[in-house]
Amino acid sequence: MFLRFVAYSAVFLFFTLLLSCSTESRPAGHVVYRLNADPTTLDPAYIVDVTGGSISAKLFNGLVRLDPELRVIPDIAQSWEVLDSGRTYVFHLRRDVSFSNGRAVTAEDFRYTFERVLSPMGRSPNTWVFDKVLGAKEYLTGNAGRIKGIEVRDSHTLGIRLEQPFAPFLQLLTMNAGYVVPQEEVERRGADFAVHPVGTGPFVLQDWKHNTELILLRNPSYFDDKAHVDGIRYRIIPEDLTAVTEFELGNIDLLAVPASEYSRFRSSKKWKELLSSARGINTYYVGFNCSRPPFNDPEMRKAVAGSLDREKILRTFYEGRGRLASGPVPDILRHWPAPVLPAYVPVTARVLTFARGCRKSVNTVINFYINADQEVVDIAEIIQSYLKAAGFQVVIRQLEWSAYKAAINNGEADMFWLSWWADYPDPENFLFPLFHSSNHGASGNRSRYTNKEVDRLIEAGQRSFDERERDKAYMKAEHIITAESPWVFMWHKTDFTLRQPYLHNYRIYPIYSIDKGTEVSF
Amino acid sequence: MLGITFITFSLAKALPGDPVYSMVGERSSPEIIEKIRREIGADKSILRQYGGYLLLLSQGELGRSYYTNRKVADDIRIKAPQTFRLAFTAMLIAVPAGLLLGLFAALSRMPWTDRVISGISVLGLSLPVFWSGLMLMLFFSLRMKLLPPSGTGGLKYLLLPAMTLALPALSTLARVTRVSVLDSRDMPYIRTARAKGLREIRIIVVHIMRTALIPVVTVIGLDFGSYLSGAVLTETIFGWDGIGRFAMEGIIKRDYPVIMGCILISTLSFVLINMLVDLVYQYLDPRLRVN
Repeated sequence: MFLRFVAYSAVFLFFTLLLSCSTESRPAGHVVYRLNADPTTLDPAYIVDVTGGSISAKLFNGLVRLDPELRVIPDIAQSWEVLDSGRTYVFHLRRDVSFSNGRAVTAEDFRYTFERVLSPMGRSPNTWVFDKVLGAKEYLTGNAGRIKGIEVRDSHTLGIRLEQPFAPFLQLLTMNAGYVVPQEEVERRGADFAVHPVGTGPFVLQDWKHNTELILLRNPSYFDDKAHVDGIRYRIIPEDLTAVTEFELGNIDLLAVPASEYSRFRSSKKWKELLSSARGINTYYVGFNCSRPPFNDPEMRKAVAGSLDREKILRTFYEGRGRLASGPVPDILRHWPAPVLPAYVPVTARVLTFARGCRKSVNTVINFYINADQEVVDIAEIIQSYLKAAGFQVVIRQLEWSAYKAAINNGEADMFWLSWWADYPDPENFLFPLFHSSNHGASGNRSRYTNKEVDRLIEAGQRSFDERERDKAYMKAEHIITAESPWVFMWHKTDFTLRQPYLHNYRIYPIYSIDKGTEVSF
Repeated sequence: MLGITFITFSLAKALPGDPVYSMVGERSSPEIIEKIRREIGADKSILRQYGGYLLLLSQGELGRSYYTNRKVADDIRIKAPQTFRLAFTAMLIAVPAGLLLGLFAALSRMPWTDRVISGISVLGLSLPVFWSGLMLMLFFSLRMKLLPPSGTGGLKYLLLPAMTLALPALSTLARVTRVSVLDSRDMPYIRTARAKGLREIRIIVVHIMRTALIPVVTVIGLDFGSYLSGAVLTETIFGWDGIGRFAMEGIIKRDYPVIMGCILISTLSFVLINMLVDLVYQYLDPRLRVN
């Protein structure tokens, strides 16, 4: 009798302990977001991942930033002048901006920040952001004590002189690497500045439990519109299905909808009204290795491209979560008529049309490299079956990310699946790194495409400050590229997020740096 | 241990892939790639890199992660106790449940009890943890709203991953216990004990179980040892911040200091558990005692 009593009491106590445990206790007034991985670093000079980038946007500011319409607007610089045919920029800084340690921001801080990114002693991967500045290369290689092109004219005026005009320079400055950092904190913390960042942003980092959560608090002395919420709690949940469960339980307020759950949420009465989307600035593509057979032959590339029914793959497998690509430049950045890509030619006609021109190549085995992501594996198999029907032998080589990157950077693949996401919203970002012959391999041009005329047009576009002239150059470059088909241009992915009904004024942006986290409210 | 460091170091370096490409993101010049390679010492010969690592170890250091630049030892100091908690709780569930089920299956006089328990244990062994974990989450979190689906923390966070991990261990234990109890049940000394008129409960606990426990302890040691090296899938599904997830991320990114640190710690805990198992053997079976 006694034993039975003890057993019942134990069970009762156990469930009382657990009851109401499934909903998380959350700090009051904090919005809860999910991250799928721990940020690598929060030091803006070293950030290369989206996770770190989106958090650092809330902790730091640069000279300029982007508005929701992707225009460059003032941030710490309240105004600027472009002189000397686009070679010199003069920024006038606000006088009411302070770091969260209380010290006022001056032009000298920007000089320190930019020099730190380019420091010969450092190992920032973002040096390319500033390598257009006069004297940057000499400084980077340790052959100069200062960057010649950066001039502190007075405490709140900064001059930057470029080696040659570069039209998207202001957009480059909106990136993480341009966020201002305080020298004294960087020197005090050393390598630990990455986990104890101090910036000027609308939030400050309160706590970071690696691989578990990050908590940001509203910065009461922020110089611009202050945040409506008291703070942001980022929970690190690696598994998509777990995140969906957490969202449905109300433990997180916003969910980037995983592909596997998209159709369920879209057709759910409860959730479909709370689904929002943004046309992502990205291009998904199948790249060809243009530097060696069989794909050094444009006819062969066009034959493969014409054998894929991209529209059908996008509509069915991808459930329409994107826009069909007409070229490398995403639709929202293109201000000129889109190139017309050759239509999908069904098998029999395709064989008649193309096989004669590249019969020898058709018989070779095509090594199609992909990374181990399940969605990519599925798409690769669809592509393989289309190409098999068209008479091509495709072998899928699946590698995990690190080995995959090494293989495609080193030109080992005949064909590979990849996507490119905008660093800044300018067509140049989808042309120069990806198709200029100086960028073969890890610099972006992994298809090793080379065309002198395209190089010339891209360079002309970079230098021109006349918008029409620039668009004309880019348009010509894009038309040549699409005609030579170094890629199969697949689609531009659209992002979907789902919010809780009590979360207001949330907006999803095409580039993460736009979201300073100040608008969202309960 | 020295042998392990050499084998792990050589294997890690033999893997295809380059950590620098993951460190620099999607766009970086060859000069920067070379510079970073020099910074992390990847431009030196493998033997020199190994020598450098041994030197670091001799100073009691495990190096810094290539990506986060944080000390690997600091991260392991945070994650290892979490992994230990998870493994220990899983064993706390699995050992009594497995032993009881095995004992019950072996001693029950009703044949269907044995069949049901054997069926359950086969099922527990065959279900992949990513499936059983998600099902437990679906039931206890989404339906019953009893336990949080993910996170690292107190008991409420611990139960679901521990239950997921315990399921296969419990099933193995039940099977092994059943077989070894069945083996020892018919031994002559049990008949002697019965003839002496001992109570059945004493015969089971003192005579049958003590002999039957030897293979069971082996299984417990092996399972506990492997859980201490980290349960990658369970830790990922439930967002548990343990060694398994840490090691896996290190392997994916080719973060050699992290890979080496995790394997060293795992090896160490495996060796310790095995020593413990040997000690328990000697307690259970006097014949195994030295002198």
